[in-house]
Amino acid sequence: MTPYAPVAIFAAVAVAAALAFSLLPGLLAQRKPNPEKEKAYECGVEPTSAIAGRFPVKFYLIAMLFVILDVEAASFYPWAVQMHALRMFGLIEMGAFIVVLGIGYAYVWKKRGFEWR
Amino acid sequence: MPNFITHQDWLAITPLLIAGGGALIVLLVDLLWPKHSPRAVSLAIGIGVLLAAGAFAATTYGRSYNAFNGGFMLGGFAVVFQEIIVLSAILSLSLFGTFGRDDRMAGITALLLWSTTGAMLMAGAANLMTIFLGLELLSLALYCLCGVADRAASQESALKYLILSSTASGFLLFGMALLFGATGSVTLASLMLPGLAANPLYWMGGGFFLVGIAFKLSLMPFHVWSPDVYEGAPLPVTAFMSVVTKAGTLAVFARFAYALPAGGKLLLPFFVIAGVSMIGGNLAMLAQTDLKRLLAYSGVAQAGYMVAALAGASALGMRYAIYYLAAYMFMNLGAFAIVAVLSGEREEGAQIAAFRGLGQRRPWLAAAMSFFLLALAGFPPTAGFLGKILILAATVNAGYAWLAALLIAGTAISLYAYFKVLRLMYDPHDQPAPGPRTSAPLAYAGAALCAAFVIIMTFYPLTPSNVLPLVK
Repeated sequence: MTPYAPVAIFAAVAVAAALAFSLLPGLLAQRKPNPEKEKAYECGVEPTSAIAGRFPVKFYLIAMLFVILDVEAASFYPWAVQMHALRMFGLIEMGAFIVVLGIGYAYVWKKRGFEWR
Repeated sequence: MPNFITHQDWLAITPLLIAGGGALIVLLVDLLWPKHSPRAVSLAIGIGVLLAAGAFAATTYGRSYNAFNGGFMLGGFAVVFQEIIVLSAILSLSLFGTFGRDDRMAGITALLLWSTTGAMLMAGAANLMTIFLGLELLSLALYCLCGVADRAASQESALKYLILSSTASGFLLFGMALLFGATGSVTLASLMLPGLAANPLYWMGGGFFLVGIAFKLSLMPFHVWSPDVYEGAPLPVTAFMSVVTKAGTLAVFARFAYALPAGGKLLLPFFVIAGVSMIGGNLAMLAQTDLKRLLAYSGVAQAGYMVAALAGASALGMRYAIYYLAAYMFMNLGAFAIVAVLSGEREEGAQIAAFRGLGQRRPWLAAAMSFFLLALAGFPPTAGFLGKILILAATVNAGYAWLAALLIAGTAISLYAYFKVLRLMYDPHDQPAPGPRTSAPLAYAGAALCAAFVIIMTFYPLTPSNVLPLVK
């Protein structure tokens, strides 16, 4: 038994389970379709229009900028926890990080990336 | 822990810090300028920063040092690759004189500098983590650069490159994980450990790793992205991508190949792929009507030549591969500079049909283009010719005569494709196609520099026997 045997077993089980769940219903289930069942939501909101419509892209720009800044801000936490161990090195490192982040932030601001237009 | 990092380590990556920090300076200047910094200012800062990075990298020549616990190697071929990368970045940046919107120039310059930083990191990367870091820095900036033009094709190429390249990165990363599982270490030196050959993880990991590398080098079965991306991306970005990704990835592949026990069987399929690229890349060139696609397929074949030089992992092969890479940089960027001169923002000059009757219309440009195409085909007295002879010598010496045979066959096929363009330029029966007259002094200067070096490299003082013995 190599140390990787559990990984292989886990992978095999995962693949088998996924295949079983997606293939078995097709084999076992009985089919009695009617118009009501064929709707996108069998129970719930009545569909009003096609899903493939146009949607504003500006939301994605804001969302993406938010995620970038959010993820970058998340790297402050490990530093805050280890601040005393890292001492001056950590402080300087974090300063450099904030400067880079700040320039990026200011750049997006100047390029009017935060404006809803 | 911090106390492991010394003053020497920072010195080793100073060229990278200059290039990466320079990008911030470009952005800051753009921020402080009333509206947006003029194109010339961004380009000047960018080129200045690259010159400084190249000059600093040159001071590390001949010095050998393992920075960051073996993560970044100074010495050996790292500095040569770094200089090639910096020089191609400068040449590509100089083509931006007529492309792209003025208000995006600072961002473009910054992205190009970051991409260069990533490639320079790859040139010295000596463990799996720094390899991946460099590769991602190079690629992430390139995805954005592909999409900076206001054409649908440009956006399409960015998306294609992002998706396909991320998949390849996934392969590479998975391979790295398996290699780590096999050796228990991220250093490439640990691939020398005895008894690895009995471990299936080593074979699988190495295979996945090489698939990722083959994608980035655009070798034949993994090349499908390159013609589409090259065609859609703005021309200077295509020029940059064609040389810099190859240079960075070739450095990584060389470190990997030379870390394996001599004659590693793991690499044999990779050399077969290189052989396939030489034939297939040159065959596909025949069908192209767009010069950027033609040069993309040419790049597929040329990458095959460079990889072939490394077959057998001889010291000689390494020098010859580097020599050919440098020659390729000048030939290829020279050809791109000519296309840039002939192209407006919509890049109509990239169509091969735009070269119709160029010999009558602009004889000097036609002569220069012919020169670069002949060099790419491997005619004497150009560096392309000498480079091919050297690679032939290296492959035959290393016992890979079949690769040498494929190289000769591929070259023979490529002649036809390159001559198709030549014939179009000089055929007296063809009416000259009307083309835009752009003034791009930087592109002219770049083309002249490339042409000069393609000739100089064949003679003193850049011949392999003079400079490259110091490359180990």
